[in-house]
Amino acid sequence: MKAVAIATANLLRFVRDRSNIFFVFVLPIGIVLLIGAQFGGDFSPKVGVVTGGTEIGAAIRAGLNAEADVAVVDYAVEAELVAAIERGGVSAGVLIPANADAALAEGGVAEVGFIARPDGLGPQLETVVAEVVASSAQHVDAARFITGLGVDAAAAADAATAAIGQVPDIEVSVVTAGDSIFPASLGQFDIGASTQLVLFMFLTGLAGSAAVIQTRKLGVATRMLGTPTSVGTIVAGEALGRFAIVLTQGIYILLATVLLFQVNWGNPLGVAIVMLAFAAVGAGAALLMGTLFANDQQAGGVGVVAGIGLAAIGGSMLPLELFPDTMRQIANFTPHAWANEAFADLVRREGTIADVLPEVGVLIAFAVGFLVLATWRMRRVLTVR
Amino acid sequence: MVQPVLDVVGLKKSFDDIHAVRGVSFHIDPGETYGLLGPNGAGKTTTISMASGLLESDAGTVNIYGEPMTTKTLDPKAKVGLVPQDIAIYPDLTARENLRFFGKLYAMNKEALKTRVDEVLEVIGLSDRADDRADEFSGGMKRRLNIGIGLLHGPRLLILDEPTVGVDPQSRNAILESVERLSDEGLAVLYTTHYMEEAERLCDRVGIIDQGEIKAEGTRRELLRMVGKADRVRIAVSGGSHNVAESLRALPGVTDASAADGMVELIAGDAGEVLADVLRLVTDAGASVMSVAVDEPDLEAVFLHLTGKALRD
Repeated sequence: MKAVAIATANLLRFVRDRSNIFFVFVLPIGIVLLIGAQFGGDFSPKVGVVTGGTEIGAAIRAGLNAEADVAVVDYAVEAELVAAIERGGVSAGVLIPANADAALAEGGVAEVGFIARPDGLGPQLETVVAEVVASSAQHVDAARFITGLGVDAAAAADAATAAIGQVPDIEVSVVTAGDSIFPASLGQFDIGASTQLVLFMFLTGLAGSAAVIQTRKLGVATRMLGTPTSVGTIVAGEALGRFAIVLTQGIYILLATVLLFQVNWGNPLGVAIVMLAFAAVGAGAALLMGTLFANDQQAGGVGVVAGIGLAAIGGSMLPLELFPDTMRQIANFTPHAWANEAFADLVRREGTIADVLPEVGVLIAFAVGFLVLATWRMRRVLTVR
Repeated sequence: MVQPVLDVVGLKKSFDDIHAVRGVSFHIDPGETYGLLGPNGAGKTTTISMASGLLESDAGTVNIYGEPMTTKTLDPKAKVGLVPQDIAIYPDLTARENLRFFGKLYAMNKEALKTRVDEVLEVIGLSDRADDRADEFSGGMKRRLNIGIGLLHGPRLLILDEPTVGVDPQSRNAILESVERLSDEGLAVLYTTHYMEEAERLCDRVGIIDQGEIKAEGTRRELLRMVGKADRVRIAVSGGSHNVAESLRALPGVTDASAADGMVELIAGDAGEVLADVLRLVTDAGASVMSVAVDEPDLEAVFLHLTGKALRD
């Protein structure tokens, strides 16, 4: 009951500091959204097209429109297209001159313009556009070849069109050897949601070390020891408060990502057990930090560096599957790696509770280790000085 | 023989090379108010930190009603109410929430706690501000809340560590009156202070502590008897008086002298006989005499006699 009283006081103090609302509830969802937008799969860049009223222009437009990952936007004149590119309305533009058909019919050259900003997706789109233009102009090349054999231009054009229609499409199929790291069914936010949940739960835990230090600096921790309350109970109470905050944030991120981004987290019980274990890790780390540092500025600075650094090493910024072997081994020294691996089992591999038990075991060991060290340190800072 | 509420025997504590407490012993009987009087750094807070079970001692024992008190024991702490020198409350909780929080740590049941919180708020004069956050309080109000927490669970021994430091005169008087009232009600009190007048006003017995040792202990009358029937002379000066103490001690009839911060103090059997020589020595030393006061001896004089320095040094 005493531990609950200490935890309740912690929660009351936490709720009264309104800046916590932003860092615990608003920022994480913003980051998940950002990462999903950057690395998720459901994104089609827009390409503006000025066909110039030409047949070749229409063919190029149709070719671009047929590309699955490109959205076509029509513009009447070059000035409108350029303005749209400058404002970011489209990522690139294709400009077909009004005399293109006539020039090609006369055996001349029609120059297709490609316009893009030097940053962004321009370079990638240039390749796509070049392939579509080449594909659209292949009947012109064929007709010219036939004309070269002495056939008149109109008959050559008809023959070329007919011949191209008879060439079978080349079918390209892709086969993944072994298990797919990222299944095709994975949603846009599925990876980012779990890795950011791990990052923020731990970061929020470490930020809680400031409250532990404040309790010490205010003399309240020492005064608690003057009551019939053991150091272990004080640590348990402080940890329980941090645990509740970290777990609340985790549940909030989980629910928000399900409702807003339709993230599929996998086995609910598995997710619950991993979150509970990782919340305990965050709370334990907060307590340890809170007993190691003399003031909350120190703890805040180190906490941010440690929180972001461990998250990076532990696979919260780049999936662990993409790590080189050595880095993968190093990652195992962070609790983040075990939590991320557990969530990867659940989110990407349809894992069950049994599949994540090893990771949960390691996370609990981390939490117990942190709390034992924190209790030892708390006793020293309060009673030895 | 009455079992003492608090029995401290041979307490020692060092921080690296600093011997903060060097074998302090004293006891407090039921209903007694005991004062530890000494300057800053004398070892008062370290002593009561060990007596309260907040700090591990290097040697010695503390017993509360015969039960050993250490940092790990819990039961004796339920009998003690601690009021630390620095205000130890949550500033972002209300007065009522702070009291409730600490009441729960004393394992008070819900109903008793509710009643007791209201009673304590009344005693400390914060009933009308009970639901205001502590960080909106004045320094004196925070001090009163700090004391209220120590009283909440009805302790048998109240330990107050310099509770009037940094407090305005009105709040200070209110605090002293509260301690007097609690003492009259039979509560045993351990009171540390470096204000001589507080020790004289509140304490049944006083231990004079300096450099980690209790130099003398007894009632006010017993302590005054130690310095004999002597007068205390205080001379306010401006200008150099730093080296005058040694010359003054050499004067016939002067038993002790000190000089610091524009004030020369000395103990003399008869102030009237030595005053002219004293003033001459002071002015010869280059100081201008601003005022002269002659007092009967008090605990400050006892401290000067025992330690060779003033309480504020």
